[in-house]
Amino acid sequence: MPHLTAPAEASEEGFNFAPLDPAFAADPYAAYARLRARDGLTYFADFDIHLASRFEDVSAIVMDKTMVRSLDGLVPPEEIVAQQRAANWHDMPHHSRFVQFSLLDSDGEVHDRLRKAVFRLFTPAMVARLRDDIQAYVTRLLDRLLDQRDIDFVEDLAAEVPGHIIGRLIGVPDEDCPKLRIWSENIVQFFDIDRSDARKQIAETATTEFYEYLSALKADRLKALRADLISELIKAEAAGQFSEDEFISTCMLILMAGHGSTIDVLGSGMHCLLKFPDQAARLKADPALLPTAVQEMFRYESPLPFFHRYATEDVTIAGTPYPRGTKFGLLYGAANRDPSAFEAADRFDVGRKPNRHLAFGGGAHFCLGNHLARLDMEIIFGSLLARTRAIELADPAVTYKRGLSVRGPKRLDLRLVPA
Amino acid sequence: MPRITFISADGTQLDVEATEGQTLMAAAVAHGIEEIAAECGGACACGTCHCYIEASQLALLPPADEAETAMIECVIDPRPESRLSCQVKLTAAQDGLVVHLPASQH
Repeated sequence: MPHLTAPAEASEEGFNFAPLDPAFAADPYAAYARLRARDGLTYFADFDIHLASRFEDVSAIVMDKTMVRSLDGLVPPEEIVAQQRAANWHDMPHHSRFVQFSLLDSDGEVHDRLRKAVFRLFTPAMVARLRDDIQAYVTRLLDRLLDQRDIDFVEDLAAEVPGHIIGRLIGVPDEDCPKLRIWSENIVQFFDIDRSDARKQIAETATTEFYEYLSALKADRLKALRADLISELIKAEAAGQFSEDEFISTCMLILMAGHGSTIDVLGSGMHCLLKFPDQAARLKADPALLPTAVQEMFRYESPLPFFHRYATEDVTIAGTPYPRGTKFGLLYGAANRDPSAFEAADRFDVGRKPNRHLAFGGGAHFCLGNHLARLDMEIIFGSLLARTRAIELADPAVTYKRGLSVRGPKRLDLRLVPA
Repeated sequence: MPRITFISADGTQLDVEATEGQTLMAAAVAHGIEEIAAECGGACACGTCHCYIEASQLALLPPADEAETAMIECVIDPRPESRLSCQVKLTAAQDGLVVHLPASQH
């Protein structure tokens, strides 16, 4: 998901926090525990950001209606331009129109208008209509993978489902889903902190191709509307609720959001079940626990562990006053392991209740697709556990993605033993 | 201190002492009522703090605004007595309010 900056490596006297270090990717939770133990928030001068790690502090910021995602209106336009240049986020005409502007990175009236237009399609009732479709798709996929037996869970199963389902919800033909995933990945890779010109070119090219594809699809759908998101947005645009750029940007955002993070949490959730076999056995014996198990996977390995907010007013957080314009880093992954908010926070418990975590964020930007992600996961894990006698980790050395903004295994080699 | 009675879908009843100025959602969460998921934390952005106000007591509450009304249209099984508990701020006027909880928010 988009965020402009993240600390690459920073230190204060007596404290080191190096989120790009392989050791952090292997276990970010030790570093998070050190952060939570510090007084107040942790400031990193190089990135001018205040990191919140305790549940109470992250929650206070994310729920504060005066905190925003976008700098628009908060600093002079020339300063925004200067920051974009510093982040190598400039001279990207299509990326600027359709990616840098989005539902996610807007606030107030614009955000509410865009969100309202798509919210209805992501409600529990609407998402539940996809259940049979998702189940049928996962069943077919598992028919093949159970024959194959040796699989990379991430590539062969996790990556196959969410993008395909979000494509159907939006109204993209099944055969185009692989292209969408590539475009999504090529755009998302430029949200991380490595902002080389080569990566920039990949992101701009992908945005351009994605834009041309969506424009053609829209022109085609205009001939005959259907019960899909593209048709809903066409109606919203005709009613004056959406501009043409907002239409494209919103489609792109939903397609991108529907890919990466669900794939990541599917991978780490599967890894949790392998690391905690007693919990996997409990879930297998009682599939009614699937909703709480999925909720726990999001808490235990939050797939988008870092977001930001700007203060639009002077504010006090953790007892310290901060001026308007302050940038805060919200470490959801740290907050969700805070022992003052969760009993035995480092224990993975498929029946945990209550489990009011922050993996989907909170406030006005609360994750739109959370019900869809949960449904994908419940169907995948429910089907996999029901159809296997054993699931073995073929390679115990599981490597997680590097970075502060994402959390998920790069691959997960399994041997499936059919039931 | 408005006294609120929550009644679960299975008929279980819980009386709680709320605080004036608190939202109905916050009162429910503070007393461990799991049916009020309130996932967005009170921003009228998720629709998971849905509840039904005892029909005869609807007039005790100020009416829902446009944002709440639009969100209620998206919840499971909306009814005329539906409210989002995060948008209901409690005062002494709501003492004795009876709130029916849905079986599930999802």
